[in-house]
Order: sequence, then structure tokens, then C-alpha cells
Amino acid sequence: MSHQYQAIGWNRQKRVYDVVVLTGVALYIALFIGFGALLFPYATAETLIIRAAGSAAFLLLHVVLCIGPLCRLDSRFLPLLYNRRHLGVVTFLLGAVHGIFAIIQFHSLGDKDPLVSLLTSNQNFGSLPDFPFQQLGFLALWILFLMAATSHDFWLRNLTPPIWKTLHMLVYVAYALLIGHVTLGLLQSETNPVLAIATGTGLVTVLGLHFAAGSRERVVDLKKLNPAGKGFVDACSVESIPEKCAAVVSVSGERVAIFKFDGKISAISNVCRHQNGPLGEGKIIDGCVTCPWHGYQYLPETGASPPPFTEKVSTFQTQIVDGRVWIDPKPKAPGTRVEPSRISEAGVSS
Amino acid sequence: MIQPLRKTHRRIFLALALLLPLLFLSGLAFRHSWPTPAKPRNSAAPPLPPAATP
Repeated sequence: MSHQYQAIGWNRQKRVYDVVVLTGVALYIALFIGFGALLFPYATAETLIIRAAGSAAFLLLHVVLCIGPLCRLDSRFLPLLYNRRHLGVVTFLLGAVHGIFAIIQFHSLGDKDPLVSLLTSNQNFGSLPDFPFQQLGFLALWILFLMAATSHDFWLRNLTPPIWKTLHMLVYVAYALLIGHVTLGLLQSETNPVLAIATGTGLVTVLGLHFAAGSRERVVDLKKLNPAGKGFVDACSVESIPEKCAAVVSVSGERVAIFKFDGKISAISNVCRHQNGPLGEGKIIDGCVTCPWHGYQYLPETGASPPPFTEKVSTFQTQIVDGRVWIDPKPKAPGTRVEPSRISEAGVSS
Repeated sequence: MIQPLRKTHRRIFLALALLLPLLFLSGLAFRHSWPTPAKPRNSAAPPLPPAATP
């Protein structure tokens, strides 16, 4: 986490992540162009570059879209999420290479301005096989540019997380546009069934993973807690919470992470202030709740980040009664100190 | 804070799940059938010499 502007807060994990991504992309492009030149000797260098960069961007976008639900389904995928923004930027750069070479190859040799030619040369909006698919790709590239340009914490702070998240949800619009771009473009001229099967498999994988993760999350959201005394609700048993980890429950429509540590229980909002990461899936490290996504930290008693950081999340009053954790559904203001409940041998504390 | 985002996300994916398979399948179903080169009637016929007019 950072409290001042920094281009990129490099660390070893980010460097390894980027080296793996860039090596993978370079290898893919080299193999694509190498095999392409062998199998299709009449293809021009521009055509091979257009197809290599375009297919790499499309493939990488699928990876980007699958990382989120995979992490919800299995925490072993979390390292992929850590630097997902860099994957998104690489996706945009590959898409830009594809777009620039395509404009040079198909739109720069006439009298018209290449961009005007791109946007006006095909107006068959009423025909599926002749649909102006290039416009779809152009629009998707603009969305990817917007996302790449704002994929820094500087913009996350300035736009605020809700607006930033909403803006970055446009990735799904970009994905829909690119499915249209590929289906109404490449798949109209290339009838090799492998291409259609690969595109269909990618689509089913993205949709399937998102629905699987979404239905799993919905179970937690819909689980109703039984009312206990004094306006509290019965959240879970103390035993069910692993040491230095949390149980996550849904209270008043929002999620609460109940942490057990050093014989104590504290409850804070499950939503990290950085990118809405699930704090309840993190651990207590060095006395702080640590977000599993990017390592933002909060003190469990106050919900505040340790100085000099300023992030704060809501806290909740807890009680332990007969080995059960009771929780007050009304959140305290972010950063409000709430004394942790102590786990006594009798199983009753406050 | 996060529930509205989850709801939006769920709605987007419901829409995509309806729209994208439809687009993909219709794109494949209505694509042009490209002409394939016709086979020569007599494949055993000797090739024409270079620069000869048929």
C-alpha cells in the first residue's frame, strides 16, 4: 500500500509476474509468426503481425476475465490476481499493435484519412456476414485504453473505488465487442472449425466460471443469521474460525469478517478500501488483517491501517456467548475502536 | 457498498450469457459460403506450357 504517488511500487513478486507475462507473450508471438510463415508462405509480414497480436490480446483478455472467478473458487489462484492490472495493460498494448497494423494495411493507402476510412468504409450494419466488424474492435480498443490509462492507484484514489470499479466493469462491454469482432470478422473468412471451437470454448469458459463463482457467493449473501439477545445476531461458533483467519457472514446486506487471534475476536467490514478485496479471506500478519489481493493492512480492533496509512473500514461490536460469536448488525464508523471479545474458558465474554 | 456492484455484475453476466452465445451462433450460421475452386474435369491432362493461351 502507498500513501503518496509512485509510478509503480516494484517488488520481487511484481517483477517475477511481469517477466513471466512478457516472456509468455514474446514466445507466443514468435511461435505464431514462425509457424505462420511456414504454413502460409504467401501471408505478408503485416498479416502475420496483425493476427499474432490480435490473437494474443484476445487470449490474454480471456485470462484476465477468468482470474477473478478462479480466485473466488480457489485461493491458490490468488497470486495471479496480485498484478492483474499489468496483464490488462499488456492486453491493451497487444490490441493497439493489432489495430495500428490493421489500419496501416487496410485503410492507409486510399485518399481518405485512415480513421475516417475505418469508420465509414463499411456501413452494412443490417447484414451479419458483412457487418462492419472493424468498428467493434476499434470501440473495444478505446475501452481497453481507458482502463489501461486508469489502472494506477493514483486514479483509483482520485476517482474513488466505486467509480473506478464501475469504469473497469466496461471490460465486459469490451469483451462482448471483441466476441462480435472475431465472430463477424475472422470467423466469416476463416472456415477452419478449430477457430470457431476455440472461440466458443473461451466464451463458455468465461461465462461458466463467472456463474460458478457468482452462485457460490450468493449462498453466503442469502444465508440468514438468527437473532440473538440485545439486538445482536448469532454469527458463527468460535471453533469454526481458524486462528488468525476469519469467518465471513452477511449482516444487513453487507459482509462482515470475524477474525480470531491471540484468544480474541474482532469483526470488521469484509471490504478492503483499496479495490473492494475480501478481507475475510486474508490472514492476520504482524497483528494486522492483511487483504489477500494486494496486501493492504488494517488493525482488527480499529479497522484502521497502521500509520502512516489512512485507510479505514467499519468495525462491529461482538460478544461471545456459549461458544458462539454474536455480532451487532449496526456498523461503527470506519476506524472506530471496538474492544475485542476475549475467548474465555467458560465460553462467555463481552 | 459491495452488494450494488455484485448486483450489477450479476445482471451484466445474465445479459452476456444471453447475448453472446446468440451472436456467436448466428455469426457462424449466417456466414458466407465461400466459393471453392472447381476441380479440373480431366486431372490427367498435361499442364499447358508457360505463356500458352488455352
